[in-house]
Amino acid sequence: MKSSRALAAAVLLTALCTALPGQGMLNPAKLGAPPTDTWPTYHGDYSGRRYSTLSKINAGNINSLSLAWVYRASTGPGPGGGFGGVRVSATPLEINGVLYFTVPDHVWAIDARTGRPIWHHQWQPKGGLYIGNRGVGAWGNWLYYETPDCNLVSLNMKDGSERWHKSICDLDLFYYGSVAPVVVKNHVITGVSGDDLDQPGYIESHDPETGDRQWRWYVVPQKMGEVGSDSWPNEEAMKHGGGMTWQPITYDPELNLIYVTTGNPQPVIAGKARAGDNLFTESIVALNPDTGKMAWYFQPSPHDTHDWDATQTPVLFDGEINGQKRKLVAQASRNGWFFVLDRATGKNIVTSEFVKTNWAKGTDAKGQPIPDPAKMPQLDGALVTPNQGGAANWPPPSFNPDTGLFYVNATRAFSVYYIYDPSDKPEGWGGNDRGGWGEGMLEAIDYKTGKIKWSHKWESGGGRSGLLSTAGKVLFAGDPSNNLVAVHTETGQPLWHANLGAPVTNGPMTYELDGTQYLVVAAGDTLYGFAMLGK
Amino acid sequence: MPARAICAILALLTAASANAQVPADARNKATFERVCGTCHPLQIATASRRSRAQWQDTLEAMVSKQGAKIADDEFGPIVDYLTATYGNDGSAPGPAGRGGGRGAGRGESRGITAGGVGADDKHVVDTAGADRGRKVYAAECINCHGTHARGGDNGADLIRSVVVLHDRYGNEIGPFLRKGHPTQTTPPANLTQAQIADLSHFVHYELYLTMRSALDIQNVLTGDAKAGAAYFRGEGKCTGCHAANGDLAGVGRRYTPVNLQQRFLFPQGGGRGGRGGRGAPPPGKAVTVTVTPPSGPAVTGVLVELDDFNVSLRDGSGDYRSFKRTSSLKVVKNDPFVFHQELLDRITDKNMHDVVAYLETLQ
Repeated sequence: MKSSRALAAAVLLTALCTALPGQGMLNPAKLGAPPTDTWPTYHGDYSGRRYSTLSKINAGNINSLSLAWVYRASTGPGPGGGFGGVRVSATPLEINGVLYFTVPDHVWAIDARTGRPIWHHQWQPKGGLYIGNRGVGAWGNWLYYETPDCNLVSLNMKDGSERWHKSICDLDLFYYGSVAPVVVKNHVITGVSGDDLDQPGYIESHDPETGDRQWRWYVVPQKMGEVGSDSWPNEEAMKHGGGMTWQPITYDPELNLIYVTTGNPQPVIAGKARAGDNLFTESIVALNPDTGKMAWYFQPSPHDTHDWDATQTPVLFDGEINGQKRKLVAQASRNGWFFVLDRATGKNIVTSEFVKTNWAKGTDAKGQPIPDPAKMPQLDGALVTPNQGGAANWPPPSFNPDTGLFYVNATRAFSVYYIYDPSDKPEGWGGNDRGGWGEGMLEAIDYKTGKIKWSHKWESGGGRSGLLSTAGKVLFAGDPSNNLVAVHTETGQPLWHANLGAPVTNGPMTYELDGTQYLVVAAGDTLYGFAMLGK
Repeated sequence: MPARAICAILALLTAASANAQVPADARNKATFERVCGTCHPLQIATASRRSRAQWQDTLEAMVSKQGAKIADDEFGPIVDYLTATYGNDGSAPGPAGRGGGRGAGRGESRGITAGGVGADDKHVVDTAGADRGRKVYAAECINCHGTHARGGDNGADLIRSVVVLHDRYGNEIGPFLRKGHPTQTTPPANLTQAQIADLSHFVHYELYLTMRSALDIQNVLTGDAKAGAAYFRGEGKCTGCHAANGDLAGVGRRYTPVNLQQRFLFPQGGGRGGRGGRGAPPPGKAVTVTVTPPSGPAVTGVLVELDDFNVSLRDGSGDYRSFKRTSSLKVVKNDPFVFHQELLDRITDKNMHDVVAYLETLQ
C-alpha cells in the first residue's frame, strides 16, 4: 500500500517535472518549422498553409475523436468585455504545452492538455473598435498583441504580466488594433485597422526587446512622384487613401520577404475623388523585413469600390508549373478571384474565379481583374456579386501539399450597391450595399489551373470559418449550422461532425503532446479541445 | 453565466411561454441582447445614438460585413429596441452608462458621437452648440473650408484635419486659431471661448455626419415602366407566379421604391429587405422539406435546419420533428424562392430598374 502510494507520488512528481518546464521560452527553431508539438504563429508556421504533418487523427479513425476539454472565455463585467458576449476569432498559439489566445483587451494562457486556466491578462482600454482580435505573436519568453485602443503590448509568457506597451496608431484618427503580430527574426510585424475615415494604412516593425519602432511602410505613397502615386489623382486623395493591414503576414526566410495584404481604398464605396488603381491598396505586397522596402506588388482589386479588402492570407508553397519547380504565393480573394503568383517576382501565373462574379470585364496583361464601371456602386443601385461580405473574408484558408489543393470556405452572394453621396468629394463611405441572397460551399482549388477540383455545398448559406488540413487526409471546417465538420481532403466527403451550438469563429489548429494529437477550435466564447485519446 | 445573460434567457423563455403577457419592448430588448450579444459587448452598440434608418444600416452591415446571423423575425424587434432606446430624434433617453463596460465614470451623454470607434473620451457633440457654431462657421470659415468643412482650393479639409480629430471642445482648435490663422471678419484672438467651443461642436457634427453617412439611397426610380412591364410578362417570366391585378395589386402603394427593388430581388428575406420593408417572407412562402424514412410515411413541414448530418422541420400540426440523415432517408427541399435566386444571375441592372418602375405603377 505504502509503496504503491510512493509510486503514485513518484509518478506524479515525474509528471510535474516534465510539465513544469512547460512554460519555458519559445525555441527560435520552432518559428517557421512545420507545426507539430508547437504552434508558434497565427498560421502555425510562416507559410500560412494551415497544414499539419500530424496524422494520428486521420480519415480512417476520425469517428473515435473525443472531446478532451472545454474552456469558456469569460471576460466578466469589467472593462473590455462586458456582459454582451465574447467571440474568439484568434487562433491560439501552443508553446510548451500552453495555449495563448485573445479577445479584444484580453489574453489567456490555458493548459493545452486540459484547458485549465493558467493566467488571464486584461488591458485597461481607452476606446477603439471591438470587432475582433486575431491573437498573439511569440518570441523567446514574450508575447505580443494589439489592443483596440492602438497599443502593441508585450507580456511575460509565464504569468501574463505586462513588460511594455507602445502606441502603434492614433485612436483619434479612428484606427484600432486587431491583427495578430508575427515575429520574423528580430522584428515584431504589426498592422492597423480602421476604415471609418480616410486614413492611410501601414505596416510597422518593432524591436521585440524594447518595442521601439524599426520601420514603417505606408500602403499609399506619401508624395506625388513616388512609385504608385500615378494611380491617384492627387496627393490629398492618396494620403487619405486607406489600405488597412488587418491580417497577419506570411514570410519566406530564404527570399527574406514578408507578404503583406492590404485593405480597401478610401472613401470606401464612393470612389469619385480617387480615380485610378489606388496603389497599393487591395494588393499583395512583398517587403524586406529588415528595411520595409517593397520588392514587388500585385493588385487583386484595382480601384475597388465594394469594400473587398484583399487581405486574405497570402499562402506560400512550392509547386510545379509546366514541369518547373516554383516558389509560389496564392490568395483566394474577397472579390471572388483566385491568384497564384511567383513569390520571388510577383509575376502572375494563374488567375481564375473561384465563385462566379459579375463585376469584372476580364483580366489585364498582369493577370489583374479589370473592374466594370457599370458594376461600381450607382445612385439607383447596381446588382453585384460577391456582396460586401465577399466570396472569402478573414477566416484563413488551407493549402495541402499532399493533394496540391487550396481549400477555401467560399460564399456566393448578391447585393445591391448604392452611392449615397453624389458630391464631388465624398468621404468615409459615401454609400453602402444592401440586401442579399447567398450560398456557401467548401471548395478545393487546383493551384496549377485555378479549376475547382471539388466543391461541397453547405445546405444553407452564410457559413464562414477558418480551415485546417492535415497529412491525415482530413480538412476541418465550420458549416452554417454550427457544426465543426471534418471532410476528406481528396473528395470533400463529410466524415465527422460535432455541433458546437455556435458557429466556428476561428481557424482550427492542432498539435501533438505526449503522443496524443489535439484539435482545438473556437465557437463563440468557448474553446473546444478534441483529442485522439484512445491510443 | 453573467446575470444579464440569464435575464435575457429568462426573458426569452417567458416570451416563448407567455408571449402575450410580455410587453413588446421587453421582448425587443431580449432579442437585441441575445442576437447582438452573441458576437460583441452590447455597449459597442449602445455607445451611440442613431436614427432608425441608421440603426437599420448598422444591422445590415453586421450581416453583410461581419456575417451576423439575424433572422427575419429578429431584425425588426432589434431595430425597434435600438431606435426607441438609442435613437437620436431627441425623444429617446441618453445611452445608459455610456462606456460603462470600458472605463467607468463617463456618465450619461445626450450628445452625438461616432459610436463604437475612436477614443472613449471623444468629443460629444451638443447639437444646440453645433447650431450656434454653424453661424460662426458661416461667417468665418465657409468660404475657404466649404459647406461641409471638406476643404477646397483655398482651405484644408477639416474633417480629415488632425487638429480637429484631436480636438475636444475647442482645446486644439482654439490655440490653433489664436496662433494667427486668418478669418474673414474677426482677428482670430477675438473669437470668444464660447464661439470656439460652438465651432468645435459644429465641425465635430460634420465629422459625425460624414462617418455615419448621414445621406441615404437617393433615387431608384430611374427605369422605364413600359419596358419593366414587358420584362415582367416576357423574359422575366414573372407571370408564372404573379399577377399585376392579383397578388401584386397595390404593391406600389405598399412599398417604397427601394423596398420594391430589394423585395423583388431578395424576397426570401435572407436579404435585408430594406428600410421598413423587411419582414418575414410572404405568408405561405416558407421553405419546406419532405422527409421520407425507409419505413413509414413521408413527413412534410416547414424547414427548421438542414445540414449534412441532420434535418429538422415543423410539421402541419406544429410538431417539431428531426431525423438523422442516412443514405436511405430521402430529403427533398422545396424552396419557393428558387426562381428569384436564379433571376439574380440573369437580370441586368436595366431590367432591374425597369421592373421597379413598373411595380411602382401598381398603385
